[in-house]
Amino acid sequence: MTQETPSEQNLGLDDELMAYVDGHLPPERMAEVEARLARDPEARAATASWRHNDNLIRQMAQTADDLPANMRLAALERELAAKLQARKRRAFVLGPALGRIAASVLIFAAGWGAHGFFGSASQIAGADYPQFVSATMTGHQARQQAAVQQAEFRPDEMDMALDWMSAQMQRKIDSPKLERLGYEVESARLLASESGPLAIFHYRDGEGQRVTVSITPHAPDQAEYKLRVVRLEQDSMAYWTDAGLDYSVIGDVDLGRITTLAAAVRD
Amino acid sequence: MSLKAEVTLHTASLRRYALVLTRDATAADDLVQETLLKAIDKADTWQPGTNLRPWLFRIMHNTHISELRRLKTRSDAAPDLPEPVVPDHQHTQLELKQVLQALDQLPEAQRNPIILIALREMSYAEAARALDVPLGTFMSRLGRGREALRQIVSGLGKGKLAVLRRKGNI
Repeated sequence: MTQETPSEQNLGLDDELMAYVDGHLPPERMAEVEARLARDPEARAATASWRHNDNLIRQMAQTADDLPANMRLAALERELAAKLQARKRRAFVLGPALGRIAASVLIFAAGWGAHGFFGSASQIAGADYPQFVSATMTGHQARQQAAVQQAEFRPDEMDMALDWMSAQMQRKIDSPKLERLGYEVESARLLASESGPLAIFHYRDGEGQRVTVSITPHAPDQAEYKLRVVRLEQDSMAYWTDAGLDYSVIGDVDLGRITTLAAAVRD
Repeated sequence: MSLKAEVTLHTASLRRYALVLTRDATAADDLVQETLLKAIDKADTWQPGTNLRPWLFRIMHNTHISELRRLKTRSDAAPDLPEPVVPDHQHTQLELKQVLQALDQLPEAQRNPIILIALREMSYAEAARALDVPLGTFMSRLGRGREALRQIVSGLGKGKLAVLRRKGNI
């Protein structure tokens, strides 16, 4: 067991000397410590000793690099890398933001009632969609609108776009926030459709998959739309009314994913 | 850097740390192997985006502590020390043995910070995470440990180096 004198404790607890020995000080501070060491033989001896002992330990440790290759360790390295890669993929799909959104999907779905939550192909055959949904479908599939485009915004102009849209719709329009799901906004447009101003946001994920979100004021003479999630020929779509706004989300994804996207927009 | 390349890089670091901890090549590889097996088992506890190295060193540290507790005593494998990659100079060899002997006299809590920082592969904060202690505690243990090591080596050196000098070997 070692006994420390007050002097030893002071040197050992001097963070500046410690950082000096480990090369963690900026150059000007290094010069200051060196000047101090020139005046203080005890600190000079201590730092020289710490550094010397570190060097010996490190040299000994580095002899491990000359040990023969270990095939068992190499196999375990590969297995660990594969496991961590899988972990990374899962974390991307079920990260903290997605976990929160997944929870809101449940609340979202429960709020609307699970019964009849998902529409089937037969249910939508020949269905009459709200006008804003048709406009979104057209916009998603052809990137063209059966409406007059009033403004288009680049990704770096989203704040301006939301301000502009909010002013035109006379209510606050929030970003759909799909960035949390790995999507990047490509553009935002404000259109003048038959039912009024329509905000359209085009997103794309890392694999080039496109998702389109539309927001428009809900017509006061119309009943509010409960959440509908429907499968189209190639795409899936969700639409609903919330707080005086009609929303629709459409993308080439399955029904579960479109529900997650819808919950993220609503979150 | 790919995850595979990163794991390979860290395994080499783990082998260095393990060699200083165990002083024996076979025991070091056994410790690394046990660490990797546990890491595979605990892969879901790693937070992607965080540094993999402290996570792996923490597993090794805990594995080593468990092994020490199981054996109740440190391995006395000093005679099996691998040949250090240092100039084959009797003075240096003796100094290394003295430092390792002195390290063995320190409490585990001070020994491990000294070794981790001597490897120069982690920052103070990363090494503190690897040992699962707050940064302030880590710095205190590192500083006290270094000073204690210096005092012990100094005491050992006065005796053994004096003998060598008398024999005219250095």
